[in-house]
Amino acid sequence: MTPTLIQTFTLTPSQGAILLLCLLTPPLLLLAFRWKRKLSSGQREISPDWSIPTIDAQAQGSSLFHTWTPAVKIGSLLIVSFLIVALHALFWSAVGLAFALLTVHLARIPWQRPLRRLAAMSGLCVLFLLILPLTSPLRSGDTLLVVPLLEGMPLRLTGVILSLTITCKAATVALLMEPMFATAELARTLQGFATLGLPSSLTQMILLCHRYLFVFQQEAARMQRAMRVRGFVPGTNLATLRTTGNALGMLFIRSFERTERVYEAMLSRGYRGAFPATSREKIAAGDLAKAAVSIMIGLLLLVLDRLAPTPRF
Amino acid sequence: MHIADGVLPLSVSLAGYALTATGVGYSLRRLDSADLPKIAVVTSSFFVASLIHLPLGPTSVHLLLPGIVGALLGPAALLSIAIGLFLQSLLFQFGGLTALGANSLMMGVPALLAGFVFQRIRGRTRTSNALAGAVVSGGGVLLAGLLLATLLATAGEDFWGVAKLALAAHVPVMLIEGCVGGCTIAFLFRVKPEMLAARSFSGVGKKR
Repeated sequence: MTPTLIQTFTLTPSQGAILLLCLLTPPLLLLAFRWKRKLSSGQREISPDWSIPTIDAQAQGSSLFHTWTPAVKIGSLLIVSFLIVALHALFWSAVGLAFALLTVHLARIPWQRPLRRLAAMSGLCVLFLLILPLTSPLRSGDTLLVVPLLEGMPLRLTGVILSLTITCKAATVALLMEPMFATAELARTLQGFATLGLPSSLTQMILLCHRYLFVFQQEAARMQRAMRVRGFVPGTNLATLRTTGNALGMLFIRSFERTERVYEAMLSRGYRGAFPATSREKIAAGDLAKAAVSIMIGLLLLVLDRLAPTPRF
Repeated sequence: MHIADGVLPLSVSLAGYALTATGVGYSLRRLDSADLPKIAVVTSSFFVASLIHLPLGPTSVHLLLPGIVGALLGPAALLSIAIGLFLQSLLFQFGGLTALGANSLMMGVPALLAGFVFQRIRGRTRTSNALAGAVVSGGGVLLAGLLLATLLATAGEDFWGVAKLALAAHVPVMLIEGCVGGCTIAFLFRVKPEMLAARSFSGVGKKR
């Protein structure tokens, strides 16, 4: 690798601003969400309370996706997700993101939930967006981008493109999660998984675990409240770690002791190793048509990604 | 930290799924069917525990818990972790759907190892149990960090910088989780030692 083969390209201020905006959108989204959470909680929280959102709050809506039989919907959107993840070029990943936005719009889901997903996903993407442009190794033929005012930190073009591509793909699949899982009750969704071949014992475990999440979250919140009332202020010290360790131990003991009661209650309500299925889902021609359209879009993106000559990105 | 969609090469994601599916299938067949609902209920408590944030200087970290899950569930740990991560992806978008297999391996393999090692080194006294708990909790996080870095490194030379940083970010979590895990195990040893017994899960359902 000889440094002479590396080109340096100085951006105009407006180009630089656009590039930085692209790179900084996910971190800004993340910060905005943190800030909003802090405002809505009113007071300065001693420990952040992570409430668990319900996945199927929008299950009663009506849209293309609500009427789509869960098994076919999950199957085809999973295939699409994998096709999206296999993309290489930034341009086609961005096109995929546009399709995902359209999908969420068609599913008629309030934008709050997908935005929350994007903010959560940003956590890892921020790492890529901030680190990759600075650390990806220079190869011959690479271009260094010099942004005005940041002359000391030239950005690697490969790293910039790679990190933006990853962010687009991650955002696409994150957005697809909403139409995939939020447009039917969780029980129906899981039944769809069982139809696709997942063992029904596993889908039942997921359903039960989901149910008890909320129970134990209440339990943990109550314990936290009790600790706070007794003067516990978390800090970076050993006492905090010891107290938390003991509290976790208590939470686990309560959950283990609860399992027996839960299981007996299930047995007494007629549980014989399987939850009664509500009804068999019929697969109509419309379901298969939707599946065909969505998979075709995914395949088309992948084919264009591999075959169409796009200028470097 | 969980891997998002679109980071890993397709072959790595698919291999992750294949390995996780094999492990989960094996657990499902080997465990008593009466245990499965109980493992599900316990899994939700691990899920909730992993949401608790501890302050660390100006920021906060949350616990990863592979060591404790392994010590308490033994061979069922991978099953529990796969379910927990699926729900985390579903509810919070922590970890991508297509990277679920790789993420389950990243947490599940340390958990299985932690369970195995814990039973070997726990000894009989409270101190030795606490030390063993601290070792497997901290070690579990370190191993998870190493696996994360390895997985990221498979995505290409461009990711090595991020991989190193991700591994470095696991070190403080390892120290914190080692302390918390040691205390949790010491607490359990005092209050309900049968939970720590080898293959403890099948023991829980039995009438005492």
